[in-house]
Amino acid sequence: MDLYSEDAARFVWEGAIPIQIRLHESQVTTLPPPPPVQILGPRIGYLPLLVSSIKPHFNDTLPPGSDSVWFEYKGLPLKWYIPTGVLFDLLCAEPERPWNLTVHFRGYPGETLTPCDGEDSVKWSFINSLKEAAYIINGNCKNVMNMSQPDQSELWQSFTKGNMDGYTRVSSKLKLGPFGEDSAVKITAGRIPIRLYLRILGDDVYHLEDVTAVESWDSISYINRPVEIHREEGEEGHYITFKKAMKCLLPEFFDDETSEPDHVFVQREDNDFDAANENSKITGAGAVMSCPEEQKCADLAFVKPHSTKKVNQIKLIRIQGIEVDLEIPFFWVVNNLKNPEYYLHICVYMGSSLNHA
Amino acid sequence: MASESPTSERKVVVHLRATGDAPILKQAKFKTAGTNKFSTVIEFLRRQLHRDTLFLYVNSAFSPNPDELMIDLYNVRGLWRNFGFDGKLVVNYACSMAWG
Repeated sequence: MDLYSEDAARFVWEGAIPIQIRLHESQVTTLPPPPPVQILGPRIGYLPLLVSSIKPHFNDTLPPGSDSVWFEYKGLPLKWYIPTGVLFDLLCAEPERPWNLTVHFRGYPGETLTPCDGEDSVKWSFINSLKEAAYIINGNCKNVMNMSQPDQSELWQSFTKGNMDGYTRVSSKLKLGPFGEDSAVKITAGRIPIRLYLRILGDDVYHLEDVTAVESWDSISYINRPVEIHREEGEEGHYITFKKAMKCLLPEFFDDETSEPDHVFVQREDNDFDAANENSKITGAGAVMSCPEEQKCADLAFVKPHSTKKVNQIKLIRIQGIEVDLEIPFFWVVNNLKNPEYYLHICVYMGSSLNHA
Repeated sequence: MASESPTSERKVVVHLRATGDAPILKQAKFKTAGTNKFSTVIEFLRRQLHRDTLFLYVNSAFSPNPDELMIDLYNVRGLWRNFGFDGKLVVNYACSMAWG
């Protein structure tokens, strides 16, 4: 298996989400209200980069004044510096097509969102992420900071136009990958920049169709934690599976001293969250409580939070809209599914599927 | 692969260092919970310096986004500093862009 596939990377670059954008009613000053706009939002792109295309449709109806443009999904203001594809994967448990967003040209929610001055802010944030990634991979950002002005400009232009070849021409000079033995850059051990978004679902959610909308960013944990791959004897770095990398990122959800590594709960058709396993856990708790009858209640109260934590499970891991097989080499995932700023964005849905009754 | 100790209990010592023409703080070091976000530092500096626009950098290079956890920043910084790793996170701040 080649650890880098240009075709796979191209799929990522060409991936787009059909979005239907409506103007928020508070900013409609004409009758009838303007119809929504349909647009393809590149997965690797950022929402503010769509503004120049959609603004002409709404320009005539906007109230006087000006403000930063922002987007909202079911009441949640969308963070503009998170790639569009990641927002979609994270906020739509079941993919919604078209994705119905609301645009606001006024009333920027400064408490929730960091300021955004359109494309300049996005560019700054993008280059900044690139530097952060370079630091994690190489221990310094020299290659990014010493990029010539024409290179930097070509890099950004290629990115915004979705021109993967132009982008690769410049970014390959940064020596940030791909990872693997036979790649141009022979990185077989090292650190891989990861942005992880952890969405905790309610206790009573069993199916992804039942997942309700995210009401606040507080219900999403964001982790920026690199995966460190050491070259160990007898173990080639690039053979590390995606599962092993995930275990390194989220040990608390993979680590269970009594269970084998295959006790990882990832939703698949052939895995109905393992009812048998739940039973064994309940039995386990029962064994702890082999004590006089009158103490049972107190013990139960004591044991419960612990056992509730134990059954927090990974329901779904999604990267670039794909539910990734845990057994494939981690380097393949990184090389092919990373975003252009060299970060691998992973969306994880967590839920507890234990019936507390 | 390194496993990490529970992040919830860890504290991070932040050392704030002025860059360019930014005013120097009387107290430049403080301790914060690893679970706090980088926005804590941004807010703190905004209050101290009475300025809305500030540029903050880690490793004299990049500006973490406000959602980043302090412990993650601290760990990333430590990754490449095996020698002379002094157990604190240095945050440079400036009133104008210092590292493009």
